[in-house]
Amino acid sequence: MTGDDLQALASRALEEIAGAVDLDQLELVRRRYMARHGGLITSVAAELGGLSGPARALLGREFNSAKGTVVDALAERQVTLEEERAGGGLADEWLDLSHPVHHLERGHQHPVARTIREIEDIFTRLGYTSVAGPEIEDDLHNFELLNMPPEHPARDAHDTFYLSGAAVGWLYRTHTSPMQMRTMLAGAPPFRIIVPGKVARRDNPDPTHNPVFHQVEGLCVDQGVTVGDLKGTLEHVARELFGAERGVRLRSSYFPYTEPSLEADVACGICNGIGCRSCHGKGWIEILGSGMVHPAVLRNAGVDPDRYSGFAFGMGPDRIAALRYSLRDVRDLYENDMRLLECF
Amino acid sequence: MRVSHEWLASMVELSGVAPKEVAHRLTMTGTEVEKVADFATGLEQVIVGQVVGLQRMMHSDHLFLAEVKAGPDDPMEVVCGAPNLFVGALVPWARPGTTLPSGLELGRRRIRGVESHGMLCAPDELGLGSDHTGILLLSPDDAALGQPLSAVFPQDVVYELEVLSNRADCLSHWGVARELAACIGRPLQSPDTSPVPREGQPLGGLVQVEIQDTRLCSIYLAEGFVGLPKDPAPLWIRRRLLAVGQRSVGAVVDLANYVMLEMGQPLHTFDLEQISGQGGVTSVVVRQALDGERLQGLDGVERRLDTGMLVISANGKATAIAGVMGAMDSAVTANTSSILVESANFAWTSIRSTSRRLGLRSEASSRFERPLSPHLVPAGSARFTRLMKETVGVSPLPAPCVAGGLPRSAPPIRISSDRISGLLGMTVTADRAAEILESLEFSVGRDGNALSVTPPSARTDVSLPIDIVEEVGRIAGYDTISSTLPPLRQPPPRVESGPPLRLVADIAIGAGFNECVTLSLVDSVMRPPVPGMAGLLESLQIGNPLSTALGALRTGTLPGLLGACQLNQARGRERIRLFEQGRGFWPATAGDRPLEPDLIGFVDLSVEDDAEESAGRLQKVLALCQALGDRLSLQDTTFRAGECQGFHPTRCALVVSGGLVRGVVGEVDRRSTAALQLRGRVVAAELRADGWLTPGGRLIATVELARTPPLVLDLAVKVPVRAELGAALQAIRALEVAELEEVRVVDEYRGAQLGEGLKGWTLRLVFHDPNRTLTNRQGDLLRGRIAEALRDSTGAVIR
Repeated sequence: MTGDDLQALASRALEEIAGAVDLDQLELVRRRYMARHGGLITSVAAELGGLSGPARALLGREFNSAKGTVVDALAERQVTLEEERAGGGLADEWLDLSHPVHHLERGHQHPVARTIREIEDIFTRLGYTSVAGPEIEDDLHNFELLNMPPEHPARDAHDTFYLSGAAVGWLYRTHTSPMQMRTMLAGAPPFRIIVPGKVARRDNPDPTHNPVFHQVEGLCVDQGVTVGDLKGTLEHVARELFGAERGVRLRSSYFPYTEPSLEADVACGICNGIGCRSCHGKGWIEILGSGMVHPAVLRNAGVDPDRYSGFAFGMGPDRIAALRYSLRDVRDLYENDMRLLECF
Repeated sequence: MRVSHEWLASMVELSGVAPKEVAHRLTMTGTEVEKVADFATGLEQVIVGQVVGLQRMMHSDHLFLAEVKAGPDDPMEVVCGAPNLFVGALVPWARPGTTLPSGLELGRRRIRGVESHGMLCAPDELGLGSDHTGILLLSPDDAALGQPLSAVFPQDVVYELEVLSNRADCLSHWGVARELAACIGRPLQSPDTSPVPREGQPLGGLVQVEIQDTRLCSIYLAEGFVGLPKDPAPLWIRRRLLAVGQRSVGAVVDLANYVMLEMGQPLHTFDLEQISGQGGVTSVVVRQALDGERLQGLDGVERRLDTGMLVISANGKATAIAGVMGAMDSAVTANTSSILVESANFAWTSIRSTSRRLGLRSEASSRFERPLSPHLVPAGSARFTRLMKETVGVSPLPAPCVAGGLPRSAPPIRISSDRISGLLGMTVTADRAAEILESLEFSVGRDGNALSVTPPSARTDVSLPIDIVEEVGRIAGYDTISSTLPPLRQPPPRVESGPPLRLVADIAIGAGFNECVTLSLVDSVMRPPVPGMAGLLESLQIGNPLSTALGALRTGTLPGLLGACQLNQARGRERIRLFEQGRGFWPATAGDRPLEPDLIGFVDLSVEDDAEESAGRLQKVLALCQALGDRLSLQDTTFRAGECQGFHPTRCALVVSGGLVRGVVGEVDRRSTAALQLRGRVVAAELRADGWLTPGGRLIATVELARTPPLVLDLAVKVPVRAELGAALQAIRALEVAELEEVRVVDEYRGAQLGEGLKGWTLRLVFHDPNRTLTNRQGDLLRGRIAEALRDSTGAVIR
């Protein structure tokens, strides 16, 4: 076959395509010319196999051109015929935006879990590892090793749930700090951990207290760790959580397991430090307690306080969530009302 | 603790220092100011008047008609209900047109037919404390007729402080003034405790003091005073007491309270005549109470004491609960003419436990339950004797009675300025450190950079070098330290302990479940049956619960989730899908640490009570469990029928992986849902993640991407309706047919023609051999082997 023959064949095909009055006829035309086996045009491909050199190249080009023209014409005619088809043509199909958009059934995160994950991410970027500890503790790890011997006045703030019966002698941890001790006792410095988890204190429920709540403990122990490092770390975390423009301040405080002890406040989100009703006129809202790990605590953990220093902190993700998401009552976080959950 | 600005200003110059600044400085250095309030404001219009006539009103059992004047003008009539008026009394008079601090505006008012011109005021009506027992009586020494009351009660500012639990010293104006002096860099003028001359017969002839156990009371000092006048304490004393919320009750008690609030040392005053026996020497002993000993306190309540409590006994009879409260019968009254004044130091642990066990907290006990300095004992006593002499003109009897003594002073604390700088992360020179410490009244010895430091005796919280670092840091101000980050000297280790919380949450949330967090505490009397992994395990009980509703530790997540279902259904939700990840608490053998399995709970509640509908939801929860296992377990996960506490007896499956039961899935027993008044059917699952799911999950094994065409064959079989697909698939997997790429059920069929108790499965088998195109014949052989395995495992018959 020559190039001219091929062109003639293609012209005939185009005429027949144009002449097809319905999709069935068009399908017959397609098969006649383009069927994989025995189509008038497609079978030329087999002829190409027998040629070589410039003749093969020449006919090959003609073949590709003819085939392309016919394929395009078939597609074009098909669309035209489909559109013309009586009654159910494409013109009657449209995206119905008058219809309510379907609700994709997905679940939602819990605000506290979400906050904990964010805190974990912030600290992971700073090289901390998130670990979990037991929620049932003994007096030794919850208090004594943390420089709170029996009758220590600071135990007042840790009103404790004690287990009874077969589990007498055990208590529900009042903070996540015992895991500081467990981590240090099990390894060697440097340490950089955070410990998120549930804790419990015997506080009657009110808008700012729940007998069970969450804490995220943090511990960084290494050579030469300073109050400046603690300050830089806490400021970074507060800004990550509350935004770079929010003020952060550290003020002196007291915890038996840290010395010096500091509390971190963020500026009230409403008045930004001036004092308003929402912050009870203080202008600042306490978000965490912290300090340099007390030398006695380091010693109890088998870490030499003359070689190592470190800081520790404990923050309340419930409270942080309540502040960030403008919740008036921390107890709402434990109701699991789906109207609240679906906001996340 | 409330402190008065004016009182503080008597010890540290505060001119030019605004109350806001005071509050800020104290807060930043650790003594948090909770509230700043004005005291004695708006008193300019109230004037000092005098009662010149007084008569009972007709037809009233409590009202008086007083004639009051404030100058040369004619007196006016004022109706008043207070019982303490007398002719000649000087009183605060709010005349018509006056606005009181509360905002009340006074006018002329007719009361029982008489026109009353304004009112005479009680302290509370003037914002001077809470006393409403009578009209505020003014002394002619303090107030002049016609003077505005603001001249008698100058305006003050009161700070409400939250004192840190280690800072007993800050429970006093002196301690707070010491802090403030250091903060603003001005000198501290400590209260005058210099001795005064003594007069009269020696106290030792009247009283002897003995301490039985010096571990519980290290020093006890008693001063005697006789010939007390009836005059009240001077106005400036009463004004300060009033400002900080202390009622004025007579000179002696007022002065004792004043010393406590100023110095931080609680004093106790006994009526000397009441504790003295018939002649002879009164023996005062500090001892432990006898078991069952009774004492009626100043508050009128009789309490039963026991040997754990410390008392002061006089001639054998307990007359005060040491450091907590005195007895009614030895209390100072208006008729008291001689007193014994106790200044003592008690073991704080003892006072603390006594106060707790009696449920009795007083101004004294709230100070004694912290470690107070024993050096305050002589100082507080000296301050009291000086004030007695200066204000009411009574000298102490010669020589106080003292038992016990002061401890030897501790050696100085040694620290270098380099150590301080190194821990704070900023350069603090030895000079600067010494300057700060001296501003706090520490005495500092210097040897180059080495400091040897002795804190003032009141600072019982400072004993270690690290305490010195804190003092320097907090007074220098943490805001002056540059923010840095600790250098990361080695990469953090990879820790894959604990359950893969995030991955589980992602899968569950993707499947339409809402994440919940519920309390670990549950009702100690759970209505059975409680569904969950724990089965019949007893819950661990709290020994000191807040309430029985929060009296036990949960054994699993499902009770909490069902509670959340109840709440959401009550709030109108018809379909509720929730999940929670958290610990359960299971008892161990006695004495051992209780178990804390990591649990995952799912609930899916629909308000419809439709068995078929809930079967569909059950299948989806199974699929979710399957997906969790497939993604996060190292081993295959399958289901087998089982029974579990709290679940539908025949709609319950156990999740099995690695030969162990990892969870339970099923429809919740109707008795459980009924107990919670839930409508509809609840599908639930509880899985135990520890030991099953890991963050890494299954090792990834890639498949060879065969270019040969697959051979897809269907296998239709009849099986008993309760056949378990898990068992069937396991049997197929056990054949280890290398060419079998995939097997799944594409159709389930039930119909009469299959026969009673049978159902049809159509299994689609996809065979693939990367090296050759499989023929139908080869496929048929493989399918035959699979059919045989099905027959052996589930009794399947080819259709």
